[in-house]
Amino acid sequence: MAAVLGLIIGVVIGVFVQPDIPVWVQPYLPIMVVAALDALLGAARAYFERRFSDRVFIISFFANVVTATLLVLLGNQLGVGSQLQTAVIVVLGIRIFSNVSAIRRFIFRS
Amino acid sequence: MAGTRRDKSGAGDDGRENTISRMEARAKAEERNDDLATGSFPQVRRNGSGKRSVNGSGLKAKLLSSTLVVLMCALLGFGYMTQINNTQSTYETLSEDELVRLINETSNQAQLLEQRKNELSSQLSSLKAAADQREQAEKIAKQNEETSGIISGRLPAQGQGVVITITKGSKDIDAATLFTLIEELRNAGAEVISVGDVRVITSTSITSRDEQLLCDGVVLDTPYVIRAIGNPGDLQNAVNIAGGVGSRLKVMYGSRVTVVQSDDVVINAVRGTTTYDYAKNVE
Repeated sequence: MAAVLGLIIGVVIGVFVQPDIPVWVQPYLPIMVVAALDALLGAARAYFERRFSDRVFIISFFANVVTATLLVLLGNQLGVGSQLQTAVIVVLGIRIFSNVSAIRRFIFRS
Repeated sequence: MAGTRRDKSGAGDDGRENTISRMEARAKAEERNDDLATGSFPQVRRNGSGKRSVNGSGLKAKLLSSTLVVLMCALLGFGYMTQINNTQSTYETLSEDELVRLINETSNQAQLLEQRKNELSSQLSSLKAAADQREQAEKIAKQNEETSGIISGRLPAQGQGVVITITKGSKDIDAATLFTLIEELRNAGAEVISVGDVRVITSTSITSRDEQLLCDGVVLDTPYVIRAIGNPGDLQNAVNIAGGVGSRLKVMYGSRVTVVQSDDVVINAVRGTTTYDYAKNVE
């Protein structure tokens, strides 16, 4: 419930407040968003498996975001930023898919 | 035979032992099975029930953790919307060709705009110059209007000059003589002249009818008062010069001519503007 509420609040704020994000954040923001999305879906899956722990969620959320950002930063420094970005996106996408399929199994029981 | 028996008996021993151990195992299993304590049915355990909150279980901790969750999800949503807004204006997703085309278009546009800016600024400067010229022209036109207004009799005038009064003598004054007087005044440099209530302009005529003098069709009453603006001394001399028009008036018509110099001769008589039907400006 808290998560849904928070999402709605964030989207509303994002619609009405349109900040100029600093240039140095621009390449990392999409990765951050995808990583956070992955953490959120993992939390949803854990919730359905009845082993949701907010401590785990909070830590995994920040760990995901920070790891993804650091990876992309590393890639930018090594000159393979876009490739590494793609790799991170692919991995996170796979995780998101597996989480969604687990959730689906819990909902449809099949 | 015996061997086989022994073997058999040995086998029988083994079989007996086996049976005993099996029985023991079954007894144990049955004992376990007869256990009526809870948990005999498979049950989904709540995993990690101890880790449900950040710091044990307390209302404060729960509140803190859910606040954190709300905050993080809000952060996620906010970042998502920000990224959506941002993606619409970035060129990261465009291909190289598109970017090159975009750059070309932009530079073209910049050139066009620069050109337009130059045109407009030159236009602005020419307009400014024109405005200056116009102002100048307006000033000159105003001056012209004043002088030509005085000349053409459109505007009242005042200044140094003389007032000439001519009484009627023994004979009626000839129109030609009065006209001569005006001509003499003009020669002496009179700038503005009026006869009676009539402003004298270039087309002014003096005529006589029924022993009366008319100036531009207006009957003049005696004594005739002629006002002239100009150098008072010159004007007085022009009238009073020996053998001049003043003495002729005195001698021939018996009139009395008085010339009074004044520093402030006011001529209020004006003429309307004349429209020319034939004369046009030379361009």
